[in-house]
Amino acid sequence: MELPAIPNRIETITAFKQNSGMIAAVLPIHYPRSLFRAFDVLPVEVWGPPGTDVSHGGAHLQPYVCSIVHNALSFLKKGGLDLADFIAVPHTCDSLQGFGSILLDFVKPKQSIFPLYLPRGNRPEDLRFLTEEFRQLYRHLSGLTGKKPSEEILLRCIRREEKADDLLRQLYEKRQKVSLSNYSFYHLVRTREYLPAETFISIAEKVLSRKGFDNPKGTAIILSGIVPEPMEVLTTITELGAAVVADDLACCGRRLYASGKSEQPFRRMAERILNAPPDPTRGNSLEERKQYLLRLADQTDARGVVFYDVKFCEPELFDLPRLRAKLKAAGLPSVQIEIDLNDPLSNQIVTRIGAFLEILG
Amino acid sequence: MSVSATLKYMVNVNIIGKTALGWQRRRAEHSTFSSSKWRTDILSEPLRIGARTKELISLHYLAGRYANGHRPVAWVTSGGPVEILQALGYYVLYPENHGALCGARRAVVDISTEAENAGYSRDICSYARTDIGSVLSGKTPVGKLPKPDLLLACTNICQTVLHWYRVLADHFNVPLILIDTPFVYDEAPDHAIKFVRRQLEDSIPVSEQVAGKTLEYKKLQEVLQLSKDATELWLEIMGRGKQHPAPLSVFDQFIHMAPIVEMRGLKTTVDFYSQLLKELDERISKGIGALKKERKRLLWDNLPIWYRLRYLSEYLAERGIAVVASTYTNAWGELAPLINVDKPLDSMARTYLYPILNKGTKYKLNTMRRMVEDFDLNGVILHSDRSCKPYSIGQVDQRNRLIKEYNIPALLLEADHDDPRAYAEEQVASRLAAFMEMLED
Repeated sequence: MELPAIPNRIETITAFKQNSGMIAAVLPIHYPRSLFRAFDVLPVEVWGPPGTDVSHGGAHLQPYVCSIVHNALSFLKKGGLDLADFIAVPHTCDSLQGFGSILLDFVKPKQSIFPLYLPRGNRPEDLRFLTEEFRQLYRHLSGLTGKKPSEEILLRCIRREEKADDLLRQLYEKRQKVSLSNYSFYHLVRTREYLPAETFISIAEKVLSRKGFDNPKGTAIILSGIVPEPMEVLTTITELGAAVVADDLACCGRRLYASGKSEQPFRRMAERILNAPPDPTRGNSLEERKQYLLRLADQTDARGVVFYDVKFCEPELFDLPRLRAKLKAAGLPSVQIEIDLNDPLSNQIVTRIGAFLEILG
Repeated sequence: MSVSATLKYMVNVNIIGKTALGWQRRRAEHSTFSSSKWRTDILSEPLRIGARTKELISLHYLAGRYANGHRPVAWVTSGGPVEILQALGYYVLYPENHGALCGARRAVVDISTEAENAGYSRDICSYARTDIGSVLSGKTPVGKLPKPDLLLACTNICQTVLHWYRVLADHFNVPLILIDTPFVYDEAPDHAIKFVRRQLEDSIPVSEQVAGKTLEYKKLQEVLQLSKDATELWLEIMGRGKQHPAPLSVFDQFIHMAPIVEMRGLKTTVDFYSQLLKELDERISKGIGALKKERKRLLWDNLPIWYRLRYLSEYLAERGIAVVASTYTNAWGELAPLINVDKPLDSMARTYLYPILNKGTKYKLNTMRRMVEDFDLNGVILHSDRSCKPYSIGQVDQRNRLIKEYNIPALLLEADHDDPRAYAEEQVASRLAAFMEMLED
C-alpha cells in the first residue's frame, strides 16, 4: 500500500516560510517542538544528513568524531542550512556539545545558536532543571522574535504535538496491521523530523483510517540504534525476508513521547521528554533498556534485535556488550552493525543481516 | 564492616605497608641520579619528592587492596566532588588514575584487550576500556583493586563517564550517584548551579546509608579546607613554571599530580605539596631548571600521552625545549578560589561546574593565550586525544587561531592518552621535528 503524498523537507520549509514562519535547524535528539512552534518557528531536524561532502567539517573536526556531527557541520558550511533562522543544539553527547561550542565560538554562522542541556536522569531535580532550561529557551526565542506567546498558546501547541505523538504511537501499535513496507513505514515516521504537527496529524490519520491491513511478512525484528541510514537498509531487510516490527532508534522509537500531566507548560514539556522510552543519552540504566526491549519483543513477537549504530557513538557503544548479553540470556539474540553516514550500504552489512536472519530461522 | 578485615587492614597497611614503603622511600631519597632511567645529560636531577610520590601512590593502592570490609569504598570520576565521601571515611578510587598508571606502566593493551574481547569497541575511551578490562579480568599493575560499594560519576569532565559508570553500576550492582553538571558555554545560569547543589544534597543520604554513618558538617568543612589548601598549593607549584629556567616540567607535573586528583581532602596531600613547593623554591634559588639547558618553552594542551612521557620529555629536552605549563594540570588548580568552607555545598556546586572541560572551546583558547603570556612561552602542543572528545573537539580551530590571530606557533599531535595502538612514533617524530623548525624561525 502506498503512502499519501508527503511534502519533502525543502517543500515544507519553503511553504512554512512563505506564511511568515521561521525555521530552526535542530540537532539530535530531544528538544521541545511545541516551544518552537509557539513562536511560529518550525523545527527541522538535522541527522547528518547522509552522503554529505565532509571536507568542510574536516576543517574543524578530527576524524574520530562521528559522521552525524561531521556531516552536520559540513552541511552547514556549504549552505545546507541557509534557510534556517536558528540552530538548536541539544547537548546529547560530547560530540554534539563540542559541535555547539565551536559553532558559538569559531564557526559563528549567521543563525543564532541555542544550546540546550538535557539532564541525565529522571529525578525531581532533573524535572526542575529541564523546566527552567525550557523557560530560558523561551526567553531567548522571545528576545529574537519579539514574540511572547501566552501560557494558553504554549499549552495549545503542546497539545497539538501530543496529538501528533499519540498518532505516531498508534502507527507503531498498528504497525503490524499497517501494510506498509519497512521503507514506507519509516519514511512516514521520520516525517516527524520536519513536518508541522498539523500536517503530520492529517497524514497519519489518513493512513490509520485505512482498512483491510495485512500482517507484515517475514521474520519479525527490532531495529535499535541512532538512525536507519542509508534508508535502503530497510528495503534490504524486506528483501531478506524480515519485517521491522518495532524500533529503539534515537530518531524514531526513543521519541515516542507520552502526553504530559502538568498544566504548567514548561514543566509539561519537560515531563514529556524525561518520561520518553529509555535512552542512553538521557542516562537510563542498562536494566531499563533491557526491560524495554524485551517488552517490545514480547508485544510484537520480535525474534531478534539489529543494533545499527553510527561509528564512534559512545553512548551506544558502551551499552552494547552487556545489553546484548542480557538480551541473549533472556532468549532475544542480536547482531551489531556499525555504519558511517557517508558509506553506501555495503555487501558486508547485507551479508551480516542476512546471516543473522538465517539464525533466527 | 568486619573485624577480620579491619585487622588485616591494620597489619598489612598501617604496620607492614607503611614501614616497608617508608623504608623504600628513604632508600630512594639517598640513591644517586645514576640509578634513574631518564637521561642525565639533558635533564636535571629528578625532584627528590619523587620517592615520596611513589610512596604515597603505593600506599594508596595498598590501602585499597585491603579496604573492602574495613572501610566503605567509592569509585569516583576524576572531576567528582569527593569531599562528602572523604568526610564519611570512604576509601576513594579513581579508575581514571588507575588507567593512567596502567598507561605509564604500559599495561593498557593487555588489560584493554580483555574489554575488547568482551565486546567493547576500541572507539570508546581507553581509560574506560582499561578499567572495564581490569574489572573483567582482575588484571592490574597494583595487585588488586577494591570492589566499590558506591559509584559516583560527575559529568563535568565528559559524558563518557556517565556511560562508563552505568556499565560499572550494572556489573557491581551498587548505587550510582550521578552529579550532572550542565555544560557552561559562557556563565552558568542560576538554575544550573541550583541543580548541581540539589544533587550534592541528595547524594548525602545515599552516601551515608552506604557508609553506615552520618555526615558531620564540621568534618565536611575540614575536608573542604584541606581540599582548598592542596589545590592552592598545586596552583602555586604550577606557577613556579613561570621562572626561567622552569624548575619543573609538565612531565614532572603529570607524575606528581596523582595526589591532587585522588587524594584531595587529606592532610597528607597538603603536606606533600608543601614539601614539593619548598623543593621547587630551593631549585629556583639555585637556578636549577628541569632541563639542563632551556632554550624554548612550550604549553601542553590535553591529557598526557602516558606511555610515552619519557620519550617526549627527552626528545624535547635534547633540543632544549622545556614544556613548562599545561591546561590539563592547570585544571586541578584553577578552581581553588571558588572553594569556600563557610558555604560548602554552594561553593562545591560552583567549583564542580567550572572545570575547563565543562566550559566552551573559546574559554580554552583564552586560557591557552593567557598561559602563553603568563609563562612566557614560545608555542603550544595540542595533543589531539582520540579518547577524549570533549578536550579535543575545538582544537583544530584553537590551533588555527593561535597561529593566525596571535602568531603563536602551535602543533596538533594525534595520539591517545592511554592506548599506544593509536600512536605512531615516526609520525609524531616528524611532526615534532617540523614544529621545532617553526620554533626556530
